[in-house]
Amino acid sequence: MKKRNKLVALALASAMAATMFAGCGSEEKKEEPTATSSAAAETAGDQYEITFILSLRDEFLSALEKGAQDNCPDNVKLTTQDAQNDAAKQQQMIESARNAENDAIIINLVDPASAASMLESAGDVPVVFVNRYPTDDSILDPEKCVYVGSDEMTSGKFQGEFLCDYFNEKGQKDITYVMIQGTLGQTSTTNRTASAIQALKDGGLNATLKGAELAGEYDRATAIEVFSPLISTGEVDFDCVISNNDAMALGVIEAMEQKGIDPSETPIVGIDATADGRQAIKDGKLAMSVFQDPNGQGKGAILAAVNMIEGKALNEGSSFEIAAENPAIVWVPFEPVTPDNVADYDNR
Amino acid sequence: MSAKQKQFISQNGIWGVLIVLVVLVTILTGGKFIKIANIETLFTNESIKGIMAFGVMFAILSKGIDLNPGSMAALVAVIGASMCTMNETTASIIKNGGKPMPAIVAIVICLAIGCISGGIFGSIIAYTKMPAFIATLGAQLMCRAASKIITTAPVSNLSDGFRFLGKAKLGPIPMIVVVFIIMYIVSAILLTQTRWGKAVFAVGGNDQAARVAGINVEKTLILVYVWCSFCAALGGVLLAGRTGSADPSTYGLNYELDAIAAATVGGTSHTGGVCRITGVLAGILILGVVNNGLVMLGVNDNYTNIIKGLIIIVSVALDMRKNTKKV
Repeated sequence: MKKRNKLVALALASAMAATMFAGCGSEEKKEEPTATSSAAAETAGDQYEITFILSLRDEFLSALEKGAQDNCPDNVKLTTQDAQNDAAKQQQMIESARNAENDAIIINLVDPASAASMLESAGDVPVVFVNRYPTDDSILDPEKCVYVGSDEMTSGKFQGEFLCDYFNEKGQKDITYVMIQGTLGQTSTTNRTASAIQALKDGGLNATLKGAELAGEYDRATAIEVFSPLISTGEVDFDCVISNNDAMALGVIEAMEQKGIDPSETPIVGIDATADGRQAIKDGKLAMSVFQDPNGQGKGAILAAVNMIEGKALNEGSSFEIAAENPAIVWVPFEPVTPDNVADYDNR
Repeated sequence: MSAKQKQFISQNGIWGVLIVLVVLVTILTGGKFIKIANIETLFTNESIKGIMAFGVMFAILSKGIDLNPGSMAALVAVIGASMCTMNETTASIIKNGGKPMPAIVAIVICLAIGCISGGIFGSIIAYTKMPAFIATLGAQLMCRAASKIITTAPVSNLSDGFRFLGKAKLGPIPMIVVVFIIMYIVSAILLTQTRWGKAVFAVGGNDQAARVAGINVEKTLILVYVWCSFCAALGGVLLAGRTGSADPSTYGLNYELDAIAAATVGGTSHTGGVCRITGVLAGILILGVVNNGLVMLGVNDNYTNIIKGLIIIVSVALDMRKNTKKV
């Protein structure tokens, strides 16, 4: 009897494993063309091996990964890995890539403060940091270690400037705002929040925070949860909502609609210009968003890596600019997205 | 004080804590907290985690645990959303070409996925005697990964039919709260009025004795995890319905911990065999009052979590004292 039970359990477990593999199978199929194209490249001549280590495969970083793959030159074999938000795992992957004698490593840092030790792990292999800016930028060097990304301090700035224009037009100087932050303690959260508030001040508004800064974990459901108590009586006693990303701004809109409040009457601003965010802008529910170009960052990173290996200018092959203050930085610009230009972003 | 009175107080003291908290928050917010509209918000916000807690409660009662509800909810939300989106889902391996499936079919499939996976993991726990912590930890990793395989981007623009449970209102009461109340009643009946419910108490208290008493321990345990995953899957359907979207990487993240916390604060003992559903309801509401009230008071999110942590530790410390006295 007992033996039979064990067999049942084993059968169920293997059935489960089989389904998981079936799921993976479809993924592998997708990757096949890349493998064949790089095999073809091997015969074509110069063969560089580059490893790209992502901090996490979320929506944005998946798009960035795709940007790098799509713009990868034929003579480069690009491998991407997911460090699953674990800095220690990322370091191991860097060491493995170095030991495998890769020609360059592209790193999307799990922890921007760990940049120096990650660079050390890479040894003599040139490194491109992408999307997350190293906390200690003295390690940047145009020949060995460069950064490709967007300046996080400008994303919030676009939000703040938009709100300044909006309220100046109304002739309102004193405003209260609700701030929906992402995950507390992350550099992007801190920079996005700080730059938005700074821009409000620079624009001459006397802005006060309503309640405390809310932590929405960059997640729509969490944003609904933390925001809805503020409007539970059905009254809106603040002038605008600033959100660290679109997913949370959409949560705010959802919460308002569920309370019968019209979200178009209160300006709500997001960042990322995701597909859902752009739709909300078209519907007039989201006032504006800021486009961070994942495809461009992926492209910029792979080009910078190849250019560094070949000793060319970092931005060769793209329209991105090298930062005036530091020759080891390539800026992929943020762009404000409003109802006027939202249609331009549909196919980017 | 008679022994009966003492027992009443020790079993229902949690409601006293809830009342004190409510009064305190009401005074501090100048009465805004207790308004009907805010109570509605509170219940709506706690419904999903509350329903998960009704499932996890059975697992803890059986001397096990379920770490899977959050990831299970994400998986189900993603699958349900992919079937019911009105967009062309290029990012999803489940393609619907912009024609949403009838909501009822999609919801039944979602709930069935929950029950089947619960059955699989329950069987593994029951027959291999593997600690539930390990089995459900594995389940958690697999469900989260599976949902990320299904889609890389959030699936949104869901059909109204699929959103009915999460978004619609029954008169003045949100549907999601109605579902929560129904689940409370069903859980209460399952726990106290069925042979299975009594068997879970017995297995959690002492599985050897339960076996001697003629209870089929394996079947009881499997059903515990089927129920638990069913609750999680329902939570996933509600989550997608409420937000109108399903994000494979962030949805349901750490929800299981809130559900476990609610069940624990509500006096469900991790040594097995002790559980009162009224207590679990109080536990859900206490955490809800903290979540909602502290936002109204403008308290920084980090302090909210410190207060929640303290509540969990203190309530379990009191519970341990109560339960060791009995021995």
